[in-house]
Amino acid sequence: MSMSDMPMARHQRLVLAAVTWALGLMLVPAAGAQSLRLTITPATISFASADPDTTPSILAPAITVSYRVRFNDTGNWQISLLASSDLTAGTATIAINNVTWTASPTPPFQAGTLSRTVAQTLASGTGNVQNTTIGTVVFRLANSWTYNVGSYSTSVVYTLTAP
Amino acid sequence: MKHSRVLVLGIAVVVLAAIQGLGAATTTGNVTVSATVSATAKLALSSSTVTFPNADPDTSPSIAATEGAITITAKGKTSTGAAIALTILAADDLKSGTDTIAISNVTWTVSGAGFAAGTMNKTTAQTVGSWTGSGNRSGTQSYALANSWNYATGAYTATATYTLTAP
Repeated sequence: MSMSDMPMARHQRLVLAAVTWALGLMLVPAAGAQSLRLTITPATISFASADPDTTPSILAPAITVSYRVRFNDTGNWQISLLASSDLTAGTATIAINNVTWTASPTPPFQAGTLSRTVAQTLASGTGNVQNTTIGTVVFRLANSWTYNVGSYSTSVVYTLTAP
Repeated sequence: MKHSRVLVLGIAVVVLAAIQGLGAATTTGNVTVSATVSATAKLALSSSTVTFPNADPDTSPSIAATEGAITITAKGKTSTGAAIALTILAADDLKSGTDTIAISNVTWTVSGAGFAAGTMNKTTAQTVGSWTGSGNRSGTQSYALANSWNYATGAYTATATYTLTAP
């Protein structure tokens, strides 16, 4: 064995150790590698057409939010909502801030108003939610005579985050 | 050199793994939100009767309705850029037995954006208001009867129908 081979052997061992450690970090849920689960049902809700005088606020069917947070220790978690756009039907739009929601149980859930620019908090807490837990969200559309006729739609992204 | 490349690769994997472990965990779900807005029209009048009192044609050539200005609320949902129209059509002339006063002697003035003055007609609906697009519009309509010594005495009546259209 020459003298130049000795450092290379150490490199091999170092590389082997590093790769093993890296694989361990990737495959084993360590501290800071939270396990999150989020399910939203139904995947579609609709606001029916209504007379603004008799129905100033149109209710949509309730949405069930199922979530679970593990390996979070004492960290915070949050479920937020962000609309992809205003309600749109061709060139006609209904501003998304006309859609509000109420939610239960409170806490961790809270009421709010949809936005297409800033994610809005739907629920938040600290630590783990070991068992799958359910919340209910009911959306409302503020009705108006100014809305143009059409079939409007948009999508809302629910995001569960544990930093 | 080969071992150096392997070392660099190994360190990169370690760094990536460390970043993954320290970053926020996130999961998402999507909901499609839809809303249907159907064509609707709704009309409200503050008074359903208009009365013209007896008056001297010389001193009152035009008789104002005793009810004063009628408030009209016209609400409609229509397609983008489509027209909403409010019209009125008399069923007949003013009649008292066999006596008649031509309905064209009844005119009106208005206030409010989109409202239009006009003359009553029993054959062709006359425009009272027109607008573009959905909305809640409000204005007033004041009726007047052109007075005349030629009118026979009597209690005359006629009916007129308002139609609000939001296509």
